[in-house]
Amino acid sequence: MKIICVVKIVPDVDSIVCDVENNILTGNAARMMLNPDDACALAFALGVKASDPDCFVEVVSMGPMSARPRMEDLLRLAVDRGTLISDPVFEGSDTLVTSAVLGRYIATRPFDCLLTGSHSLDGGTAHVPVQLAETLGLDQMLGIIRIDPHRFDSTRAVFEVEDDKTVTTYEMAMPGVLSVTRQSGYKLPYVTLSDMRRDVSDELAIITNQDLCFSETDVGPAGSRTKVVNRYPQTYEKKDRHIVGNDEAGISCVFNFLKQKGFL
Amino acid sequence: MDKNDIIENLGKILTPSQVNTDSEDLYDASADRYKKYAKVRRVLDVPVPAAIVYPTSADEVSHVLAFCNEYGLNVIPRAGKTATEGGLENWKDNTVVVDARHLDKILHIDTYNMQATVQAGVPLQELEDELRKQGFTTGHSPQSKPVAKFGGLVATRSIGQFSTLYGGIEDMVVGLECVFPDGHISRIKNVARRSGGPDIRHIVIGNEGSLCYITEVTVKIFRYYPENNRFYGYLVKDMETGIKALREVMVNGFRPSVARAYSEEDAAQHFYHFHKNRCVLLFMAEGPEGIVQATCQAIEAAAEKFQDGIVEQVDSQSIADWFNNLNWSQKDIDDEFEEMKEKDSHAGYTTEISADWETIPKIYNNVMKRIRQEYPRAHDLTMLGGHSSHSYINGTNMYFVYNYRILCAPEDEMRVYHHPLQRIIVEETLTLGGSMCHHHGIGKFRNEWTMEEHGTAYYMLEKLKQAFDPKGIMNFGTIYPQEEGAKYQK
Amino acid sequence: MKKTCIFQDTEKTQNTTDLLEVSERMYGRGQFESHAVLLADSFDPLMGSFHHIIRVAKGLVDCYDPRGICDILENLHKKNRFDSILIPGTSLGEMIAPRLAKRLRTGLVAGVTDIKKEGGHIEIIRPAFSGKILEGVLHTGNGPVMMSIRPNAFEYTPGDPLQTVVSAYTEPVSSPSAVTRLHVKENQQTCDIRDSEVLIAGGGGVKESFPELYRLADALKGRVAASRKLVDQGIAPRSIQVGQSGKTVSPRLYMALGIHGSMQHMAGLRHIESLISVNTAANAPICSLSDIVVHGDAGKFIDRLMKKIAVYRS
Repeated sequence: MKIICVVKIVPDVDSIVCDVENNILTGNAARMMLNPDDACALAFALGVKASDPDCFVEVVSMGPMSARPRMEDLLRLAVDRGTLISDPVFEGSDTLVTSAVLGRYIATRPFDCLLTGSHSLDGGTAHVPVQLAETLGLDQMLGIIRIDPHRFDSTRAVFEVEDDKTVTTYEMAMPGVLSVTRQSGYKLPYVTLSDMRRDVSDELAIITNQDLCFSETDVGPAGSRTKVVNRYPQTYEKKDRHIVGNDEAGISCVFNFLKQKGFL
Repeated sequence: MDKNDIIENLGKILTPSQVNTDSEDLYDASADRYKKYAKVRRVLDVPVPAAIVYPTSADEVSHVLAFCNEYGLNVIPRAGKTATEGGLENWKDNTVVVDARHLDKILHIDTYNMQATVQAGVPLQELEDELRKQGFTTGHSPQSKPVAKFGGLVATRSIGQFSTLYGGIEDMVVGLECVFPDGHISRIKNVARRSGGPDIRHIVIGNEGSLCYITEVTVKIFRYYPENNRFYGYLVKDMETGIKALREVMVNGFRPSVARAYSEEDAAQHFYHFHKNRCVLLFMAEGPEGIVQATCQAIEAAAEKFQDGIVEQVDSQSIADWFNNLNWSQKDIDDEFEEMKEKDSHAGYTTEISADWETIPKIYNNVMKRIRQEYPRAHDLTMLGGHSSHSYINGTNMYFVYNYRILCAPEDEMRVYHHPLQRIIVEETLTLGGSMCHHHGIGKFRNEWTMEEHGTAYYMLEKLKQAFDPKGIMNFGTIYPQEEGAKYQK
Repeated sequence: MKKTCIFQDTEKTQNTTDLLEVSERMYGRGQFESHAVLLADSFDPLMGSFHHIIRVAKGLVDCYDPRGICDILENLHKKNRFDSILIPGTSLGEMIAPRLAKRLRTGLVAGVTDIKKEGGHIEIIRPAFSGKILEGVLHTGNGPVMMSIRPNAFEYTPGDPLQTVVSAYTEPVSSPSAVTRLHVKENQQTCDIRDSEVLIAGGGGVKESFPELYRLADALKGRVAASRKLVDQGIAPRSIQVGQSGKTVSPRLYMALGIHGSMQHMAGLRHIESLISVNTAANAPICSLSDIVVHGDAGKFIDRLMKKIAVYRS
């Protein structure tokens, strides 16, 4: 079986400082990490590979070259091929463009199943897996908490999706796109010390726009249909603290707050 | 002699009930908080000791040590088990852990002569509670106070949060009793001061169980004036301002009980409710009213002098509240263990160094720079910062604190994360002439640099070992470098 | 006249009207024509709020088939040329919106919580980086403005009732999914406090009245959490402990009853949207992070608030 895991290297949101005046995120200080949902998807793929040595796992990511060290970390696991799609002309692409770029590369690769995470930690959206599926003309499902390893092969996959009230079991014909969430609990294996010290710098395939041949007006900010123009800090920490008594007025204040925020 | 023989003999020297061979207890005794994560994950790479014994008197300790000395058995002295540098880690198969559990009596509290005598296994908290009832204090308050015991506190040259006023344990110990490997029991008498040759207390204080076993300690006590406690807190723009303000107060001749400066990162984890991403400078003044007043004036004057670097003053109640919730109890330690079982993380590590006023900021900056530039897993760090928390007229300490996501096998954690970070801190400190070990002791993982730490004076340290422990049975690998231990270190 | 298309909130049909608030913020009241697209379901709650209700005929598409639903919305757009298409940010909506945006080659803003209008520009606001910051996004290009809307972010106040025209959509779906629903079971995994959007947390100050917290939690559809103090004392189970040594939670609402707010506790709180604390000490550290601080006893507070809620609900 051939699995392609599509992953994103994201900044760890806890390390981000928002410079509102200059409308930038101070990315230098931000630690980069494998998107947590994506890590679960890869963990499942590596689990399949562990029980079926013929299984081939490729990890594909699109991102700046600064993502390279984190992609190399993945090569130190049992991943068969790692690919980083990176080109300055792709920088600033929205999800529409990103899925087009990823789709063009992935269309050239053999696969029975695409595994991705559900949501990205930075953007908080699930656009890319869905739009990638649309680009490739595939079915796709978000929010997967479990894939049945015994009913997962090149013809079909059976998996569970969770929402507030239910757990639903679906079967999807393969190839298709399965997007896993953190709630799956799939955990990447540990990197051994010797693998951590292994030089894998020449094992990572780098794909640029020379390989993919997009017109420069179709990618990056030029090709994007949305543009982030402002950033505002969420100031949880500097609250306009409102001290009320434990009396009718105070209770009303809490009640109205709950009502206004939709908790009632 | 095999383990069964050792256990049998120990049972004869003491009583069988004083010899513990429970496998879980022995596993626990094979490492201390240094390898806390590997320990919880059950992947320790060191041997378990043969037995833990609980002597009830100096004589019994003497018999056990003499026996171990005769048969070349490694001895690890232990008390409250809060060691953080591997001092309690075991590197030998035939090891006897001598635990002070039953040396648990407060022998005498003498409020006229202002000293208290306790056995080595008395928890500091217990003596402190007794003293408080009578309006006194030990003046000693390491974060481990609720758990740590006197034997360990003295053996590791521990220091407490109020050290800037009361000093470290070495300033408090009046006299003590200890047992040497050959079974000899020495008592150092309790006097206010003397000039009877070198101060031999210092052979014992800080020996980390590598020379002798401490059985009894007499410490000074102090009058306690909680009603006079005053707190000051400031947000400052950088570490250098913080350290300059600390220095100002100290060199002018004042002794606040607490004088600390925190980096932004460290402040953020301690003072979440007021730090505003700034460095934090804080003081506490305590003691008799007049002294507190004078100290407060000195603190205010220092703040005034460096006002350009001070962003704002913090509500002193916030500082007081924080201080009253600072110590960790056995429950905190247990909680961290539970956390480590479930998550790939722990509460972090610290490496504490010291140097003169001029050098401390340089070491701090060099360390930060080197870690950010050359440490290959810098992106896994979730926290890197430091604080100065113990000041002297001629210098201060720096407590480097760091934490990280553990993205490697539990058995590799030290090699991937803590060791390389500690190495950078130690190297930068020694290069600039500071000390790599302000108050945790050398333990087993900084022994690689013991010679460099002491330079030509290592000669004296080495002679002590040869004189008091010629067969090398005391706490193998602690303080003194051992080739055989390298496999556990690198 | 602008045209806005709103897809049904399939989890709570009556919430569909709240998306009209988004259109109003963009175009102004009465300045647009609204179309609601409904899968087979009762449309009564929407009558009078929309100009058009388009009902998808029964059996045309499975309710879990985002591909098929996209076909329908794509067709409707070709026919009507909407200026904006708004999709509720439900789990189904999250699979429909990006796919439809891709087909229409238009930009999509997800999880929208606010709309700002300055000059001629419509700035679409959404939380990013786990809610740490808000992004203001501009839609560029020629396609319709597409958004998925965070549930409960908008509230619509109805105006005068409209003459709603109800029509049926009957065109067969050309590219349904090859997905089959095998079975559905009740979610057993509902006891994890990390999954709850509302947490009623108790600390040392509610030792006596801890069971009361469950009543309040039920009323607010939340769960009960506890600080270490209560766990230590055996009053609360460890599984609901929040903090350094417990769980890290990110609910939308955290109500801290009798919690001092030690660092260890606060370490377990990430990106809390709203924090209400009830404490006899109004200067407890947790109070400095609270939206509202109620100064007083937590047990009495619960009683009074419960009464108020009961009156409101009846």
